[in-house]
Formats: sequence, C-alpha cells, structure tokens
Amino acid sequence: MNIPRATGMPAMSGDDLPGTATAMDGGGLRTTAIRVSGLTVRHRRTTALDAVDLDFGPGVHGLLGPNGAGKTSLIRVLATVAKPTAGQVEMLGSDLHGHRERSAVRRELGYLPQDFGYYPGFTVREFVAYVGWLKELSAASAPAAVERAVARVGLADRIDAKVKTLSGGMIRRVGIAQAIVNDPRVLLLDEPTAGLDPEQRVEFRALLRELGSTSTVLVSTHLVEDVAAACTDVTLIEAGQVAYRGTPRSLAALGANGHESDGNATERGYTAALRAHRAARAAGAGR
Amino acid sequence: MNVIRRVTVNAAPGRGLTPFALYARSRGIPATVAALVCAALLTLWVAGRPDAYLDPYRRMPLISLAPLLTSSAIGVSLHTYTRDLDDTAVRPWWPRRLAHLLVLAALAAALSALAVPGLSQEFGAAAMVRNTLGAVGITAAAAVLLGARLSWMPTTLYFSAVYLSGASSRVSNATVLAWSLQPGPQRGAWAVGLGLFVLGTALCAARGVRPEGPRA
Repeated sequence: MNIPRATGMPAMSGDDLPGTATAMDGGGLRTTAIRVSGLTVRHRRTTALDAVDLDFGPGVHGLLGPNGAGKTSLIRVLATVAKPTAGQVEMLGSDLHGHRERSAVRRELGYLPQDFGYYPGFTVREFVAYVGWLKELSAASAPAAVERAVARVGLADRIDAKVKTLSGGMIRRVGIAQAIVNDPRVLLLDEPTAGLDPEQRVEFRALLRELGSTSTVLVSTHLVEDVAAACTDVTLIEAGQVAYRGTPRSLAALGANGHESDGNATERGYTAALRAHRAARAAGAGR
Repeated sequence: MNVIRRVTVNAAPGRGLTPFALYARSRGIPATVAALVCAALLTLWVAGRPDAYLDPYRRMPLISLAPLLTSSAIGVSLHTYTRDLDDTAVRPWWPRRLAHLLVLAALAAALSALAVPGLSQEFGAAAMVRNTLGAVGITAAAAVLLGARLSWMPTTLYFSAVYLSGASSRVSNATVLAWSLQPGPQRGAWAVGLGLFVLGTALCAARGVRPEGPRA
C-alpha cells in the first residue's frame, strides 16, 4: 500500500534497523523503540488492523483516526494486553513473543487504557502505588515515585483523597499518573485528554512534550489540536490501515487552502488525508 | 498539572502500601473474610439449636447453604476493576490467583467445619469441608466462564437443584450427582468434591476470570 508520507519525515526502513535498531532522523541517530511489521488484529469477523507496518522512536507520536479505525487495537497490542492475530511486534529491542522478553518490556511500559477502572476504596496514592507494585518498583523507591507521578499531574494536594470522590478530569489525571509512575521508556496513552478542561489540556500537552524528550510516547486521540500542539509526528489510521504519516505541520499543509468554516488547517488536513486514503483504496478495489 | 516546576517530594510513609495490603484491598479480601466469619457464626448458631444438634439430617440444609454463601463470597473476590492494567503486570498472575483461592478456600473450610461440631459420621465437619471445597471449585470455574460477578450462579443452581431433589431416593443415593448430600465419610462424594475443587482452582489460576466491562 502506498502511504502518503510528508517530505522531511525520517525515512525509517526496517532493513536499516538491526537489533535495537537505529535510524537516521534528520541529522542524527535515534533509537527505534517500537516496530511492528505485518501486524494484523481480528475480532471475530472484523479486521481491526490489516498488516500494519510502523515504527516509533523517542518523541510524542499522535495516533489519529475515526472511531473504529484500529487505534485502540494497536495500543492494546503494544501494551501487551491483546495478542495480534499475525505479525511481529518488537519493543525496546525485544520480540514480545517470549514470556521473559514480555516481562522485561512491561517493566519499562506505561499504559493508560481508554477505560482504566479503579478500585472504589483506594486513594490516589494507593491506586498509583498498586500500579507501581504491578511494575515491580522497589519498596524503597515506590513511595517517592508515587508522589512524584501524582505531583506531575497536579494532584499532589489530593493524593490522599479517595479516587471515587474526584471529578472525571481528575480521575483521568490519576490514570496518567499511574501510567508514568515507573518512568516508562514507552508510554501508551489511549484518549488521555478525554474529560480534561482546556487549561488541563494545555498543561497536559506540556507534560507530554517533557515526557517525549526522553521516552517514546504514543497518544491515541480524536483531538487534532492536541496532536498539533504536542506531537512530533502523526500517524493517521483508517479502517485498520496506515492512511498517512507525517508531522503536524505537514498535515496542516494538506489543509492549507480550505475555508475556516471547515475547521483549522490541521483538521482540514486530517480530513483531506482521510479522503485521499479512501479514494486510493476505492481505486485499488476497483482495479 | 504543574509541569515545568520541578516537584520536591518527601518519601511517603509506607502506611497500607505494602504489596500484600494493596492486593488484599483491591480484591476486597477484608470484606470477603468478614463474610466468611459471618457465615460461620450463622452456621454455628443454627447448628447449635437443639433440633439440629440431636438430629443430623436437620443439618442437611446447613451443609448446602453455608458452602454456597462462602463460595459466592470467594467468587466475587476474584473480580478486578483494572483488568487492562493488571494484564500489564511484570509477573505472571497465576501464582497469585492460585494462592488467593487456596488461602480463602482453606479459611472458609476451617471456619465452616468449626461451626458444625460433632456428628462427623453424618453431616458434620467432614461433609462441610467437602462441600465447601467442591463449591469453591464450581465457583472458580464459573468465574472463568461467566466472570467473577456471576460466578455464584452455577453453584447456586446446582446446590439448589440437588437439595430440592434430595427427597427422591434416586437422586439422594446417586453419589456422583448428589455428592453434596452424602454423609461425611462417603469416599465417592469426597472424590467428586475434591476433583471439582482441583479442576476449578487450576482452571481459574491458569486462565484468570473472564473480563467484565466495556472490553469484555
């Protein structure tokens, strides 16, 4: 499949990436933390992901797409929660098939599911500590790591409040805190800004940029403006396939000529990329 | 969210944050243990009434009802609110699930057995232990198939059906089918009860309970 790729995007070729993999990114080397090839996920008769090839290095990567495009399926496979039907998944240089490799990757992984659930009787501190325990933080470092994670999402003053007493936006921030409690090298966030107010979203984007300076952060979202403001690059998924890869700027350039009543340039670019992909698929199917 | 400002934190006190305490509270173990104790006290009170003490056959409802209550409490304790997060745990879950079931089943069996003193040849401690273990086995298997919140249902259906059919000699004499109605020392009934416990516990430890919620 011919994936539209913006000019100036890192030309990451799987053939160039041995072992833990490095690739040229502009002028320097960067590590490829996540690489999937031929990734296929099927739920009964529905194909959620169709032989997808992707790779991600350090930075904040936006994952855009309409409902049911396959974003959550991709995140769940990368989080080691769901198993792919076919294909290879390599993370931090390890293939996820082996139990030992999977455990090692999980130690370095942060994950915010769309619906993460929480224990009604737990305080924020206890909930984040519980996830720290799942990640095998040492007993000596866990308490400080919990406080640091909670403070980073701005809930230090509510750390001993019961999670069930918090507002929806605060609960979402608790979810982000649990995802970063182990200072993950790979952070997977599924709709992290759902329920956050505009000010919290601005602050969250700053947190994303900070995290992306050292980690590989993959953010699945419907909110194009989050991608434009916080992501280093963007991947557009449609009907289980990669429809577009580029930077937020290149995506905005696709929509540079539209009218403002059709949304901002990034939203128009998103729509244009989707329609171009659909047209290419229809043309391919018609042949 | 204060992002730019570096946050200074003090090491938090470890109160209630030990892994064991967090796991126990996440699964509602304190409430489960309280339910087991209440069931045992209720059983003790009913079993101590003169009619039940003198006539062993009056204990038959008890050795069906008490295991039903305790196994239901244990089944519900297998529920997790954070299945997706739990699935990203570094360590495999099966040893924890196995320990969870073994410890609670042992506690339930011990408490229930103490609640029906005497009459060991009929419907005393032995029958109670056997029924408790068998009921836990069915409930654990049901949690794998139906989810923890509905895991009590098959056990309730089975125990109720067998108990209500107990008046029929064809049913009450069927050791395998009506194992829960047999007197304590009945070997065949023990084999069935223990077999169910081993199978159900092993299945639940290996597979985990069925996911519930939006992604079930």
